[in-house]
Amino acid sequence: MTSALELVNLRKSFGQTEIIRGVDLSIPKGERHAIIGPNGAGKSTLFNLITGRFPQTAGVVELNGQDLAGKAPYEINRLGLSRSFQITNIFPMMTVFENVRCSLLWSRGYKYSFWNLVARSNDLTEAADAILEQINLTARRELPAGVLSYAEQRALEIGITIAGGANVIMLDEPTAGMSHSETDYIVELIRKVTENKTLVMVEHDMGVVFGLADRISVLVYGEIIATGAPEEVRANPRVQEAYLGAAMEAH
Amino acid sequence: MSNASTNSRILFGQPVSVLLPWIIAAIILLILPVFLGSRSQLTILSQMGITIVFALAYNMLLGQGGMLSFGHAVYMGLGSFMCLHVMNATWFGALPLPLLPLIGGFFGLIFAFIIGSFSTRKAGTVFAMISLGIGELFAALVLIVTVFFGGEEGISGYRDEGLPFFGIEFISNLEVYYLISIWMFVAVVLMYLFSRTPVGRMANAVRDNPERAEFLGYSARWVRFASFTVSGFFCGVAGGLSAILFEIATETDLNVTASGAILLITFLGGVGFFWGPIIGAIVFTLLATVLGLQTHLWELYLGVVFVGVVMFFPAGLSGIIMSHVPALKTGKLGTLVMPYITCVLPGVIGGLGIAALVEMSFHVRSGAADEHEMTLFWIDFSTHNVLPWVVPLVIAVVGVGLAVRNAPAFKAAWDNASTLPEAA
Repeated sequence: MTSALELVNLRKSFGQTEIIRGVDLSIPKGERHAIIGPNGAGKSTLFNLITGRFPQTAGVVELNGQDLAGKAPYEINRLGLSRSFQITNIFPMMTVFENVRCSLLWSRGYKYSFWNLVARSNDLTEAADAILEQINLTARRELPAGVLSYAEQRALEIGITIAGGANVIMLDEPTAGMSHSETDYIVELIRKVTENKTLVMVEHDMGVVFGLADRISVLVYGEIIATGAPEEVRANPRVQEAYLGAAMEAH
Repeated sequence: MSNASTNSRILFGQPVSVLLPWIIAAIILLILPVFLGSRSQLTILSQMGITIVFALAYNMLLGQGGMLSFGHAVYMGLGSFMCLHVMNATWFGALPLPLLPLIGGFFGLIFAFIIGSFSTRKAGTVFAMISLGIGELFAALVLIVTVFFGGEEGISGYRDEGLPFFGIEFISNLEVYYLISIWMFVAVVLMYLFSRTPVGRMANAVRDNPERAEFLGYSARWVRFASFTVSGFFCGVAGGLSAILFEIATETDLNVTASGAILLITFLGGVGFFWGPIIGAIVFTLLATVLGLQTHLWELYLGVVFVGVVMFFPAGLSGIIMSHVPALKTGKLGTLVMPYITCVLPGVIGGLGIAALVEMSFHVRSGAADEHEMTLFWIDFSTHNVLPWVVPLVIAVVGVGLAVRNAPAFKAAWDNASTLPEAA
């Protein structure tokens, strides 16, 4: 069986500085995988390499067995990978409903067509409404997305990310800047919408990580120093030394 | 939109309430010549129609797609020149005139396709600068390639040399008015429908957040390119209509000033609503023609209005109109009538007083040395008397003073009308 994501000796340098220094990682289909690590470890860079935002310096990224080298973000998305961002990234001037509907268009085969009217497709409207229901934003349907509260915008972004039906979902710090109750809500939402999908997420909140992830990778200075089930990682002395010890004390 | 479904009557597969604005617009276009039937009035109306098509096509970029173009008159102008060359071709006698704008549209599309293929790679400043460069380039070409553009005289032709269309030869202004109105109506409907298609919706998404759109499977560049090409088509149609109406195309049709004017028109009307540029086109054409006949200074007033709108009402005239919707919904629109009379009306009258002083000063400075007589607001007077200076000065001071004094009351009434009362 091919894995959902396969990283082989992935490297990225910005000028003289090597940020990602040879990452090997294999994430099987259907797994919820968390990438953790101290600030500046290169987690977001790794995310951006996988999703095609930056080109890699060396190494291979494979999605469902397909090499992603040289592919633009929109091409990678069409192959079944969808992501959210650390900083909320939605369409602020469009309504909540339209945000979701736009994220459905490509996967539903509308592409660049100018002979269909989107409002005439009941299919599209129903699918968008179903997603709004899932992320509990039905009541906000007609509001411009920019006026939603922070937690609602994060929920909307998750909705946009999953709407296209991608089988690999990547979330970059989905609970950053949220209160406890908001975090609990988002964790439940993530659990619900990533059912039967592969989830890769970067997260700082250890409660979220240990609650959601099947496996965890620890990234330190551009290298993965440990990968495994939450208990194994927690018990790993190198991890404790590099990162978890300090983080656990703080919590 | 969501409330429309409650209306049970259906026409062409749409609820009547959705179609109503279009039906009303069609009827207005049909009966306007009854009230405004003189040659010059029909010409102004026709010019308005052309500007509406151009402004809406421009707003496909500015408002819908988030692309600021400083050279969009190029596509309308080229469409116009192409159509005039067709009008001068020997086979024009075999072409029904109503099809001519299609040819303009075709060439607008071709040029937009070529130029858009590289200019839409990036939005923002890069796109704006390329569009400015293209605008300057073509303005220069007009004076260089005289074989095609006819130099400073431009290219002229005769619309009535085309194949008669069901016996109509389009000699009278009324026939031309109806031809342009029908084309405008069809073009506006098509542009509206385009904004409702997948690529039209994604144009909004790319405008708001190109990076996010890319991670949804859409190439931002292709979406921009598609909007740009379609916009070029409708600009070309406007150019074809202009060729029919004026029977001439010159450098002024595609230079950077013309591009600036359409930006101004679109912004004046407001980019936030589909119909905003229509308001801008109507107001601008009226200022340029009706006011332009009255005073040399009309562009000064246009500039003041434009700066005022941009500074205080960035959503444009359509934004001002739509800001009354909350008051309409609360049912308190009526409470705004008195504040309008006590604040806005004096302000406008005071503004007219200032304009009168400006006109008189201009007359004294620029008129012939011994000519003291002038006419303003249908009143004849001499600028060398004191009274004609005192009257507008008093009007200006009192009018503006009243407006300023009553502004807080106006704002209070406005806020009160726009918010729902506390839950009863």
